[in-house]
Amino acid sequence: MAPTSMIHEKPMNEIATSRFSGWWVSFKPRLTPYLFIAPNLILFSVFIFFPLLYAAFISVHEWSLIDEPLYVGAENYTRLLTDYQFWQAMKNTVIYSVATVPTSLAIGLMLAIGLNRDLFARTLLRSVYFLPVVVSSVATAIIAAWLFNDHYGVINALLKLIGISPISWLSTTTWALPSIILTTLWTRVGFCMVVYLAALQSISPTYYEAASIDGATRFQQFRHVTWPMLRPTTFLLLILNVIHSFQVFDLIYVMTGGGPGFSTTMIVQYIYQSAFATSEMGYASAMGIILFLLILLFTLLQWRVNKRTEEFV
Amino acid sequence: MTQFINRRSLLKTGAGLGAGLVTGALGMPARAQEKQLTFAVWGGDAEVAGYKDVIAKFESANPGVKVKLDVMPFAQFYQQVDTRLAGRQAPDIFRVTYQQIGRYATNKAAIDLTQYLDKDFGKGFTPAVWSAVNVKGIPYALPHHTDTFALFYNAELLEKAGISVPTSLDQAWTWAAFIDNAKKLKAQGGASYPFAMSWQNGAVHRWMFYLYQHGGRLLNDDLTASRITEKAGIETITWTQSWFTEGLVPPSTSVKSAEKVQNLFANGTIAMMLNGNWQIPFVEQQMKAKWGVTYLPRDVAMADDLGGTCVAVSRDSKTPELAAEFVKFLVNEENMRSFVDKAQLLPVRSSIVDKGIEFSLRPKEMKVFVDQTKTIPEHLVSTVIHPNWGKFNPKMADELDLAFTSGQSPEQTAKNIEAHIERLLLRG
Repeated sequence: MAPTSMIHEKPMNEIATSRFSGWWVSFKPRLTPYLFIAPNLILFSVFIFFPLLYAAFISVHEWSLIDEPLYVGAENYTRLLTDYQFWQAMKNTVIYSVATVPTSLAIGLMLAIGLNRDLFARTLLRSVYFLPVVVSSVATAIIAAWLFNDHYGVINALLKLIGISPISWLSTTTWALPSIILTTLWTRVGFCMVVYLAALQSISPTYYEAASIDGATRFQQFRHVTWPMLRPTTFLLLILNVIHSFQVFDLIYVMTGGGPGFSTTMIVQYIYQSAFATSEMGYASAMGIILFLLILLFTLLQWRVNKRTEEFV
Repeated sequence: MTQFINRRSLLKTGAGLGAGLVTGALGMPARAQEKQLTFAVWGGDAEVAGYKDVIAKFESANPGVKVKLDVMPFAQFYQQVDTRLAGRQAPDIFRVTYQQIGRYATNKAAIDLTQYLDKDFGKGFTPAVWSAVNVKGIPYALPHHTDTFALFYNAELLEKAGISVPTSLDQAWTWAAFIDNAKKLKAQGGASYPFAMSWQNGAVHRWMFYLYQHGGRLLNDDLTASRITEKAGIETITWTQSWFTEGLVPPSTSVKSAEKVQNLFANGTIAMMLNGNWQIPFVEQQMKAKWGVTYLPRDVAMADDLGGTCVAVSRDSKTPELAAEFVKFLVNEENMRSFVDKAQLLPVRSSIVDKGIEFSLRPKEMKVFVDQTKTIPEHLVSTVIHPNWGKFNPKMADELDLAFTSGQSPEQTAKNIEAHIERLLLRG
């Protein structure tokens, strides 16, 4: 009797050969995985890839939605270069991102570290911080608009109680953007906290035990154990938050409509206004394509930086 | 082997299910064809109730016909209609302001109604609104109602400040008298601010009647060039800007804000508001203090806003004839009379205007609005029904908002508006 290892089973391909022609044999193993990803691929194509290609097509046309598209070449793109409002919207978007992304990451991390301990009412506190994330952003914006309202807002009422004169939060160029930033932090901090919390709980306690034995202080443990272990999470959150801040729309649409002046007009706000208020769908699509390329570039850059840093760890 | 069979079975099952779903969907028996019209509108409770009444009457007069009322929020109304037009799925009939009809007509998104109307059909309407729905002599919509602006005032606060209001059009306050009274109210301190203007939510065209009151114009006579940078234009921007710089209006009531001026009036934050007749039901319901309506302030001339809406049949309607029938039914004398009475709007049929209409709610105040409709300048009507008006509007809002909230100079504001208008006029 031959040893088991010597038993030769007929390979699958040969079984298939008896039934299918040659090209099918070589093609079939490659087809199977595609069949599995087909549902996702179809959905992605219909809702992401095709609209993206169509937006690129529209961006070289003049089209108001209700007429026939007229080919204008790169005119929409060249117009962007001298459009003051476009650059103002870009500047606002960058300021908004710089103000909200690192802050929400930092506060989220601090909360996660705090709520990762055995605290009284820990579950309740986690829920409270996470609640604004699950509430619809339009609802959040309406609540925020009430809170910040010049005439009957809770915030001004509280300021009045402590002897500070009311502030025109949403109707002055000085305070409108800070109000939007504060509201964003309120909604994003909970999300960062939950993701960091999950990451913190996946760090093995043995690292901390070893560090304690070596005499590491709490801060040293954070710096040399926690922070490096959280790097992939921080990278993910950074990407997600930057994309979110570049795509902010509903919050501003409800709270300020992009005003006063252009002080809270973000790039997506301006895209929306060009598309649906002035019916310049081609121009709006050109801005959409620029925004897509910017986010793509940022993600690739961040990816490379993160990969390099990972190699050094 | 087993694994392979399982995977293959799984694939087969999946493919079978998918195919089954597709063929099932394709094989569904077609629903019985029923005559259905879709009518897209926006509106407050009173207006929607008015539309529903007319629909009920039309359905009982036309058995087998169903009219589906599609109520959308005004802020997204045109965006939704346009998107549906782009997807060739527009409602059969849609409500549209006189300011927007030119755009739909020029792009043939609304159909030419000539073949469905008698030769003298247009003679039944007031000339201003009939000209507003006609583009190059072709009617693309039927006028349904109009509305306009006047000055609502808190009677108790004005009485305390010793201010008496004009009781006829020729006694209307001058701009200077209006501002003096506003300053009196501010000094008295009964309300946080003396007044506010309702021009938010894309209604910046309402700024235009001040321009006309001051003898200015946005466009020249044949609507081919801008006139906003002339002295009258700059002075009108300066005057409206001064409301904000002198603290006479709440900072939150600039043209791009989302503030609802009627709320501020009802809750006593402002003593007066410049607003339309359709706010009467809301104020009546919400305001605790005594209130009234008087005439707009005037300058070298009196001028007012062309408000109101018409109804158009979209190019996507499968039954344009039936849609046109419904539109005609909606604007006939009987239905127009009951609709405007219920919704506190103003009629546009000459027969109703001539006979007059006894409004059941606040008839004295409604008379002020009726008087004000006679002061809408023809040139203002031609300007706001310009096919490019929809593209002028957002830029005017942006620039005036910069003047009111960010200190942009009136000269720069006028220059920026003009540059935008000229660019669009040049493109045709």
